[in-house]
Amino acid sequence: MKRRSFIKTTALSTVAALSFAPMALAENPVLKIGFVGVTSGPAAAWGTSNQRSMETRAAWINETGGVTIGGTAYDVEIVSFDDQKDPKRAIAGMEQMAQAGIHYVVGPNVDDGAAAVRPVAEQNGIMYFPYAFPKELYTSPASNAVLGMVANYQSGPAIYKYLMQNNGIKTVAFVAANESDPLSQRDGGVEAANALGLQVVSSNVTYQVDTTDFTPVILPVIQTQPDLLVLSGVAPAAAPQLIRSARELGFTGLISTETAQDAGVLQEGAGQLANGFISVGGASTPELASDMMREFVDRYTKMFGEYNDESNTKVYALEYILETLKANPAAIENVEEFKTTMDTFEAPNPYMVGDAKLSYVGMSSFGQRRQVSVPLVVNVFNDGAFETLFVAQVD
Amino acid sequence: MEQILANGLYLGAQYALIALGLTLIFSLMNVLNFAHGQMYVFGGFVTYTVVAQFGLPFVVGLLLSGAILAVIGALIEKFLFRPVIRKSKREESTMLLAAGVAFFLDAVILLAFGEKQRGIPKIVDGVMNLNFRLIMPYDRIMVAVLAVAAIIGFILYMQYSKPGRAMRALAQDRVAAQLMGVDVDRYSMLGFAFGAMLAGVVGGLLVAITGVNLGMGGPTSIKAFMMIMIGGAGVISGAIAGGFILGMMESVGLSVLAAYGNITYLVIFASLLIFLAIRPQGLMGKPWG
Amino acid sequence: MTTKNLLGLGTFLITVFVLVPVGISVSGRWDFYYTLTSVALLSIGAAGVWLTFYIGRINIGQGAYALIGGYVSAVLVVKADVSFWLTLPLAGLFCTTVSVLIGLPILRLRGVYFAMVTLVLTEVTRLSALALPVTNGAKGITSIPLPGELSILGLTIIPDFATMQNPKLAFYLLAAFLMVVSYAVLWRIVNSRLGHLCRSLQQNEELAASIGVNVAYLRVLAYGISSFYGGIAGAVFVAISQSIYPSSFVVTDSVNFMLYCFLGGLGYVSGPMLGTLLLYFGWNLLSVAKEYQLLVYASVMIALMLAVPNGVLSLFDRKGDRK
Repeated sequence: MKRRSFIKTTALSTVAALSFAPMALAENPVLKIGFVGVTSGPAAAWGTSNQRSMETRAAWINETGGVTIGGTAYDVEIVSFDDQKDPKRAIAGMEQMAQAGIHYVVGPNVDDGAAAVRPVAEQNGIMYFPYAFPKELYTSPASNAVLGMVANYQSGPAIYKYLMQNNGIKTVAFVAANESDPLSQRDGGVEAANALGLQVVSSNVTYQVDTTDFTPVILPVIQTQPDLLVLSGVAPAAAPQLIRSARELGFTGLISTETAQDAGVLQEGAGQLANGFISVGGASTPELASDMMREFVDRYTKMFGEYNDESNTKVYALEYILETLKANPAAIENVEEFKTTMDTFEAPNPYMVGDAKLSYVGMSSFGQRRQVSVPLVVNVFNDGAFETLFVAQVD
Repeated sequence: MEQILANGLYLGAQYALIALGLTLIFSLMNVLNFAHGQMYVFGGFVTYTVVAQFGLPFVVGLLLSGAILAVIGALIEKFLFRPVIRKSKREESTMLLAAGVAFFLDAVILLAFGEKQRGIPKIVDGVMNLNFRLIMPYDRIMVAVLAVAAIIGFILYMQYSKPGRAMRALAQDRVAAQLMGVDVDRYSMLGFAFGAMLAGVVGGLLVAITGVNLGMGGPTSIKAFMMIMIGGAGVISGAIAGGFILGMMESVGLSVLAAYGNITYLVIFASLLIFLAIRPQGLMGKPWG
Repeated sequence: MTTKNLLGLGTFLITVFVLVPVGISVSGRWDFYYTLTSVALLSIGAAGVWLTFYIGRINIGQGAYALIGGYVSAVLVVKADVSFWLTLPLAGLFCTTVSVLIGLPILRLRGVYFAMVTLVLTEVTRLSALALPVTNGAKGITSIPLPGELSILGLTIIPDFATMQNPKLAFYLLAAFLMVVSYAVLWRIVNSRLGHLCRSLQQNEELAASIGVNVAYLRVLAYGISSFYGGIAGAVFVAISQSIYPSSFVVTDSVNFMLYCFLGGLGYVSGPMLGTLLLYFGWNLLSVAKEYQLLVYASVMIALMLAVPNGVLSLFDRKGDRK
């Protein structure tokens, strides 16, 4: 009996202790920014690079005295919630953010999560920056979501057009995982390719996300002999395997994707075979990266042991939030102010050389400014590193 | 066509090896080891660390994967499954424990090895190309051969060694085996360790071809469940058959149904559902598990 | 029903409908509403799984029915403009129909075989949702309106959720109400002749059949009720998130439903409810452990299993029968 009551007491006190977790103390007032995304389980890679980018940037800001908004210096605290890629959990995460009085949240990482948190975000006055592409999230009447990156329906056409002009491609094939995000991206890609006059020779082949051998998957695609093979919405883990299988089966055409990839992962997984692989990245290629970007990569590496190139595209959301708040301090407590500022906001882009600007775009895709403007940097992989193929802008 | 068959055989060999470990544990202890896929991933990361980080030869990595997983398996059996099985009223309760272990290993893998996809450089370069009718990289051929060798070795061990016979006796009739003087605890532990070791070895083998990431664990367990269901749960020949059949189904299905795309896997799984409804004990299993 | 039982029931009802809302408004932890709503809904699904356990079947397919129920409600509301309140029972009934059709062949299976078939069923459902045109495929169904007004003969019983000050509280009360009704029905089943017959199935199906129990009918009945629960839980979740995707309920959810039952205790009607509360709420509370969240969660789960392998409720066994 003693042991039993011990168990009960322990369980109760654990629960109690966790419910009243202590708050972090800091000298400056604290500005909390949320993150709701997946940082454990099968899709951990997506959210982890996201969360770590934010943690790195926050630690850096705090080390240098905080961020000054409206004359007050704030320390930035990142409040994270792991939704395990479950839309039901994502709602709970968003509720937790609302509870903590947070108005700016980065995430979720996938379509279903982003759609599920919408009611909570709108009821509680939260602006959120999903990494999901469905247009309904960003077009009116929705107004609280801001697309945190370049969507595939924006980058895809740019890449195809470039390759048509420079490499003379005429046929294209698509392959995607049979999940919502990749399939939607594939459909968008097919549409764009058709609009550009490319001939789509294969777009029906899909694979399970848990595939361990991609040769059978890729075989029927290769047999259609496309000039360009598009890996729609490919997870960084699957990309090297798909490339390797395609190349080993004798495919000699171009391979591209519209998502961000990690050079180290490609090098380990496919080595030389990945040379020439085209993907979308941020601004960390040597030609484009500013000193600040290089320092960010250094700090990230120091903090977490290893950099992830996917973070190149994920460094921006936090920067946008803070810069916009600087431009309009009233937005700290009021997202309506934030929305007004979005229409006119402009600031220099610290991560890129030259005079690139941070601003909100999306007029042509969504009819309102609900997308962060990040340079559309198209990379090509060569011997373990990315090189810039071309840079474009989204409007 | 040759290519499709070759792909299927290659896939089947690796599947069969994964299923073997799972079926061994199931037949000995009636435990559906939800953590099997995680053990496989763990094995892959061990080999990766040994080969890519420490620069040791691939074989060392493979042996270490097997050894470390065997130890983990033995510990899990002794300190987790054995007491729970003894105290639990319904033996299905071990499923919760197995799921807990799976989550635990997932967490450990994430903390220890990170979230990224990992792979080691190709161990053998070059591609066998028969007139473009059959293309097979040499390293795949090598892994397939190793996998088949491991399967044969496993069968021989189970067939002729003393522990192997003891384990088979245990699987057939636990009580009778005990009465005949088989040390149940010892061989249960050995069997669990052996099953975990197999998972580790497959992980190590495949890290050279497909690489490894922490997301592969759960889905791999589920795939392995399906294989042993096709063949018949707890039957060794069944696991091998199930592995090859699923491999072949995927390879053929993906090619034949390529034009219909989205429904390829729907067809595969739905036919599996129908097959199991008609023949619940699988191809070679005992009815009712 | 003894006085003690009545007392316990009273305490439970007061806790759910009075103490929790009061506690939340006093402490200001508004986010607990959604968490507790989820717990209530998931525990309805888990109650269904528990019932299949009760006839001796391991059910890892409840996610499939939650998904089907969710889609039925979403499609009816969005495409046919049916009131949410009508879709709720329809979602349950549709799931029951599906489960009877599927159950007739597969309920002959036992043990891990049945478990595996139901697991595959979850994946088949997800893939069907991706492939069928009516579900809108990969793009899912989004922007589903909140539940409207429910009135009978002009008398408003439930006001329109969209006009409410606090839809969170409304959803909580709805979920809690459904949970109480579900468990009451479950309790009634278990303590009736039907329950005794189900128990006989759990212990020895052949024996039960030989003394004239209509085994096939009982199995399908239990599975049908179980799926009804799953469908209802799914439908309400869709109303909360106002969206549904093929990935809204997946294999992980099916496995979780089963784990909730195990953790609470297979021998106790209220087991799945407690199991859901502990595992689901526990995860959210553990978010303070940051990157060690999953590690702590898994360790606690293993520790609980070692300490109370027959479910947490078995702790109370000696203090009298709580069935």
